[in-house]
Amino acid sequence: MTIHNLYIFERGGRCLFYSEWHRRRGPGIPQEEEFKLMFGMLFSLRSFVAKMSPTDMRDGFVAFHTSKYRLHYLETPSGLRLVLNTDLGVPSAREALQHIYGNLFVELVVKNPLCPPRAPVQSLLFRQRLDAFVRSLPYFGPRNPQN
Amino acid sequence: MADEALFLLLHSEMVAGMYRAAEQGEGENGRCTTKLESMGFRVGQGLIERFTKDTARFKDELDIMKFICKDFWTTVFKKQIDNLRTNHQGIYVLQDNKFRLLTQMSAGKQYLEHAPKYLAFTCGLIRGGLSNLGIKSIVTAEVSSMPACKFQVMIQKM
Repeated sequence: MTIHNLYIFERGGRCLFYSEWHRRRGPGIPQEEEFKLMFGMLFSLRSFVAKMSPTDMRDGFVAFHTSKYRLHYLETPSGLRLVLNTDLGVPSAREALQHIYGNLFVELVVKNPLCPPRAPVQSLLFRQRLDAFVRSLPYFGPRNPQN
Repeated sequence: MADEALFLLLHSEMVAGMYRAAEQGEGENGRCTTKLESMGFRVGQGLIERFTKDTARFKDELDIMKFICKDFWTTVFKKQIDNLRTNHQGIYVLQDNKFRLLTQMSAGKQYLEHAPKYLAFTCGLIRGGLSNLGIKSIVTAEVSSMPACKFQVMIQKM
């Protein structure tokens, strides 16, 4: 089980924060392009899955997986989107994402007067605490290097 | 005390607003700190009146400082001052190792140059509180590594 990377997007699609851990293979495109495509994919997927849903869907989609990785998605009421990529051994990272939003992002970015709202996060404290939190997760770890 | 988040956000917006106004040419930057300090002074005067309404009278200066470090600090910042030192000649140093207005900002040197803006109000708060208890003082703050900070209180003998 392992964690690949994390993106935080604001409502308009700008990437506020990115970090990676065990990501062995790059996407082969510039990072800006990657952010744009990632957000675009989430945007379309989100609206399409809502259309396909047999009943009214509140949460939108929460995760998808391919044969190689699983993408966990959390959208807050304010429109912030958190995306965590892990391998297939991680069943759900919802609680971790909730924690990252509620206890780290809100505390250290929203309440930090030196982080302007909806601007890329520069705070080193946030980066450090996030890194420590991710590394402390039970499913973090470089074991099982299949991909 | 009002909700903590409200206080934090209001405080940071007050500082930001003050400096924004200064940038648009209404008075120079040094004035901002003075203004924030005097706002804190007025707030401190009011607060101490409220907080001491059920307390007994104070024995001496040190007793008053202890009240500021414990009760006053706990009500405003949800924790006590970690260390109080004095030279018994009118200088007190109040050290807070995790000052509430700096904890979410940084842990170390990042943003250090911005720290003084966020301490001016609190300096005024202490000075206002003391002034309403009959002590005239000068309060300055010092930060070397966030989120710890030191407030130095110099008592002015009358």
